[in-house]
Amino acid sequence: MTPIVLAVTECLCLAIAAPAVVGYVRWLKARLQGRRGADFLQPYRDLRKTFAKGMIIADTTSWIFHLTPCVVVASTVAAAALVPVISASQPGDQLGDLFALMALLILGTIFLALGGLDPGTAFGGMGSSREMTVAALTEPTLAIAILSLALTAGSTSLGTITNTLLTTPANAIGPGHALALAAFLIAMLAETGRLPVDNPATHLELTMIHEAMILEYSGPYLALLEWAAALKLTLLLTLASNLFVPWGIATSLSAGALALGLAAVLAKLALLATLLAVLETRVAKLRLFRVPELLAVSFTLALLAATSSFFTR
Amino acid sequence: MSEAALATALTACAAGAVLAMVWPSGAGARRLSLASACAGCSAALVAAITVLQGSLSWTWRSEALLQPLGGVSLRVDPLGAFFLLIVAVTGAPASLYALGYLRHLDGQVRGRAVHALFNVFLAGMCVVPLADNVATFLFAWEVMALSSYLLVVSDPEQEGAAAAGLWYAVMTHAGFLALLAAFVLLGQGGPLEFPAMRAGAATLPPASQGVVVLLLLAAFGSKAGLVPLHVWLPRAHPAAPSHVSALMSGAMVKLGVYGTIRVLFDLMPPLSPWWGGAVLALGVATALTGVLYSVAEPHLKRVLAYSTVENIGLIFVGLGFALLMRAYGNGVLAAMGLVVALLHTLNHAVFKTLLFLAAGAVIHGARTSSLEGLGGLIKRMPHTAVLCLVGVLALAAVPPLNGFTSEWLTFQLLVAGARYTEPALAIVLPLALAAVALVAGLAAVSAVRLFGIAFLALPRTDSARDAHEAPAIMRAAMLLPAAGCIVLGLIPTLAVAQLTAVVSDLGLPMGQLDTGFALVLPLVGSQLWPIAIAALLGAGAVVAAAVAQTSRGPVRTDTTWNCGRIAQSPRQEYTAAAFAEPLKRVFTGFYRPTHEVSLDVHPVSPYFVRGITLRADFAPWMEQTLYTPLIRAARWVSGQAGRLQTGSIHLYLAFLPGALLVLLLIARWIR
Amino acid sequence: MDALFSRLTMTGASAMLLLALVVMWRRHVPAYVTAFRTQSVVLAFVGAIVAWMGEVPELFLVAAIILGLKGWIVPRILAGMEARRPDDRGLRPLVNTEMSLLISGGLAVAAYELSRPLTEVVSLPTRSGLPIALALILVSLFIVVSRRQVIAQIVGFLMLENGVALLALLGAYGVPLVVELGVFLDVLLGVLVMQALVPGMEKTSAG
Repeated sequence: MTPIVLAVTECLCLAIAAPAVVGYVRWLKARLQGRRGADFLQPYRDLRKTFAKGMIIADTTSWIFHLTPCVVVASTVAAAALVPVISASQPGDQLGDLFALMALLILGTIFLALGGLDPGTAFGGMGSSREMTVAALTEPTLAIAILSLALTAGSTSLGTITNTLLTTPANAIGPGHALALAAFLIAMLAETGRLPVDNPATHLELTMIHEAMILEYSGPYLALLEWAAALKLTLLLTLASNLFVPWGIATSLSAGALALGLAAVLAKLALLATLLAVLETRVAKLRLFRVPELLAVSFTLALLAATSSFFTR
Repeated sequence: MSEAALATALTACAAGAVLAMVWPSGAGARRLSLASACAGCSAALVAAITVLQGSLSWTWRSEALLQPLGGVSLRVDPLGAFFLLIVAVTGAPASLYALGYLRHLDGQVRGRAVHALFNVFLAGMCVVPLADNVATFLFAWEVMALSSYLLVVSDPEQEGAAAAGLWYAVMTHAGFLALLAAFVLLGQGGPLEFPAMRAGAATLPPASQGVVVLLLLAAFGSKAGLVPLHVWLPRAHPAAPSHVSALMSGAMVKLGVYGTIRVLFDLMPPLSPWWGGAVLALGVATALTGVLYSVAEPHLKRVLAYSTVENIGLIFVGLGFALLMRAYGNGVLAAMGLVVALLHTLNHAVFKTLLFLAAGAVIHGARTSSLEGLGGLIKRMPHTAVLCLVGVLALAAVPPLNGFTSEWLTFQLLVAGARYTEPALAIVLPLALAAVALVAGLAAVSAVRLFGIAFLALPRTDSARDAHEAPAIMRAAMLLPAAGCIVLGLIPTLAVAQLTAVVSDLGLPMGQLDTGFALVLPLVGSQLWPIAIAALLGAGAVVAAAVAQTSRGPVRTDTTWNCGRIAQSPRQEYTAAAFAEPLKRVFTGFYRPTHEVSLDVHPVSPYFVRGITLRADFAPWMEQTLYTPLIRAARWVSGQAGRLQTGSIHLYLAFLPGALLVLLLIARWIR
Repeated sequence: MDALFSRLTMTGASAMLLLALVVMWRRHVPAYVTAFRTQSVVLAFVGAIVAWMGEVPELFLVAAIILGLKGWIVPRILAGMEARRPDDRGLRPLVNTEMSLLISGGLAVAAYELSRPLTEVVSLPTRSGLPIALALILVSLFIVVSRRQVIAQIVGFLMLENGVALLALLGAYGVPLVVELGVFLDVLLGVLVMQALVPGMEKTSAG
């Protein structure tokens, strides 16, 4: 399998699996809350239905409104191309590394914020302002988490980090690794707009961040944005599992290893999605002005991870 | 070839200045002087590129000019040529832009003066990076400072211009004195020529060395905009005409960076790591201060001025890192640090020029300079909006533009350095990395706020509603730096290759930083391929657009949903102050906001309120703690000195023989 | 084996530090008491590991006493104090949460730097946890300084004791048994005395 084919396949895997991950989280939350819940394929049906609907474009918007869904989808897919999914030989390493991945996600966030400001509604402005604040405050945590990974692996490129951890598993025992994973997961909750930072199921305007920005979108644009959000969640979960717990990922390009890698990543995704659903059922949404406290906690964890990585080197 | 090009450049600027004053018709004077400035910049660009490509180095002396001070001595080497390149890259679009921007000044003497001063400013900035002795350097420095001061105060209708000019003049001249003192100390009594200083710097006693470095950092740091000496920048840059602001932010503050590099890397031997750490810490503090204020400022050009402060901070982070690595003997990382700092200098010059020119177009078209009064300009000024979007995305450091390249390299630099086993670095560099990441995030907030509030949604005032698009020449002038942003972002090796010459000339070993179109870092093994990322983004966007088009649902335009209100009004939009509100709450210790509420009540009863005014502002704590005591002390001293003016003519006459007597006594004692 | 010993004790020490950070984050006193109880349990666990892998059998007794005294008795006393007079005066701490966390992070970084001479002198395999113990001591002092509720200050002081005990465990495999028993008696008496003095403390430190 040539590298390009492998890269495209990995990207497609993430893209296709994304709505299923979101569907599974929703179903599990419903069950935990005592409801029956729609099955995990429901998001696919929702996307198909939304896609076939018509669009109403607000008359106060401009071409930025039309550009936003395209840029958000493009940046999320480009970021997904960098993530090691099934195989540790990462063709995406030639494109960029972890910092490039974070920057691509910020590109999507910026355009979402612009798309929220474009219609000129108060909700859009509110969502944009809050989203940019949260995105800015998660940056230091992600940078230090990347640093603590890079200190042990010697590089910030994703393939190298994964391979180093596969060859020297002793690095994973000890507080540095676990702290970095915890910090990364908290930052991931903020980036993808899950509880306790933002409630993806609410439609009360004052409690929304992500939903407030896409309030004016309908039809195919809304379908694209929802799918991009699901893809962002899936790719960050895959990143967390394959960078911190990479065992099971394929180290050779044989069919058996690849099949095992696929099964491993699906299992890890299912585990993380289960934990996410349990967490979302357990906690309440934080008010916006207490979110920086949570992000300060994750930053402190990341800082402790980096300093203890220094010590165990 | 480069000699001829450089001579052409300086002659063109001089000719432009003269033509502006003497040409009979006002419009002709404008066109000729600005065309001449543009030609001068292009010639300078050619000269600079020739020197960088060939890694040349030549000198030129003239004893006739500036004879009492030691003659003019120029030395063109790769470092100077690189900063000449930056001046040229900023000056050419600015001169083209002024052709349209200052058309309304055609009949007035003030217009001619502005064009002449613009040429003089450019000439001064071209000479500063090439100066090889103290006389030339300080002469060109002063020419630059005076002409820019006059340009800052040139617009009588600009409120606050006079005060801004005063701050600027005082601080730049204080810097001048510090420079003079430092150069005299560095000269150690010998000739005040840079080659002599370079040779003799190793024999400088350590205390002297410390004083020299401190004075030079203060002077050049103040010019560049390092905290806490940056306070002139957000006052002076908004007051000047927009093309001059672009030149000041794009080129003049970079000459402060040039001075720092010239002294710390070229003239002086490797310093102790404390200086590197101090420069790094100053850079981080500057970046944080700049970005935090740029997120909260309502004035369009002041947002950009603070953003300049932020980027200067990032440049000094790279410089501090290079100094640290040089002190610890790691030449490869030091070279990388210097390359990253210089690359960011170039990238910032390009996108800040674009942004200031776009801000000028906005203020020219919408006749208001506060973000709270703008809005909806994307429909009235479509081309300016696109160009401004490119600049704003470069400011926010997103791939695949040039701002992202230097941001990415800065991160990689700090990660590579943090793997060093030196314990002090193990603590300092992760904190620096976290701070730079926070700065990057906040810069994205500022960028979205700038573009979103100014261009999107509905116009907030009548003048924004009646805004008109900028003239074609202004848009063409903005196209140049926009293209530069995109090209430098897609093919960063264009710039990085030029920097090889600069860094090798300074004696640092330059590793291979690129392979073809991708950036590959030798120590950390990470790779960035901007063209591929851009291609991937483009393909993804096209596919998404196509997918959206193939939907069979009906598309129609209708009024925005506004929860049942009858009409959408601009009062419902988020304001610039509201956008920054969550951040203002998080960083309230930094902003120290003050609120003043005043009620206007009906005379009959205090319960009938006619109007409420809320005035929200930031306490300028930096000025209050540092500058107000100094100003008060200066006032006190001059008050005491004023006691000498008693009005009695006998006392004034007595000063003359009294001074003579004192001098005779001193001469007798010294013998 | 040594590497496993080192990593296990370091993980335990980090868990104790994280529990001290919980006091920085949460605002209500019951959370503080739970954090202290969990921290004492982890300390007992670390003590047991040192007893087993470091082959110092009397530390098993010490661990058991820690579990009983600091893991059960003292938290019950504290919870009782809180239940009788809920200290609802001002949930906002003296230093706001983000700054507290950043300062704690800074203290942890400082502890790493400060304990470098210490780790060079000690030659036991547990020495990599010493900076974390010092960080715990510094963070506990900061808790005492910056929290408003009196019981929070008492919890900070008790966490300081935990930190000192951890330092002794990791640095020298614990102090002699007699000294340990004396310290435990001190802690118990101290908490009982503070229980009587809390109403007075609340009145004087009225802010």
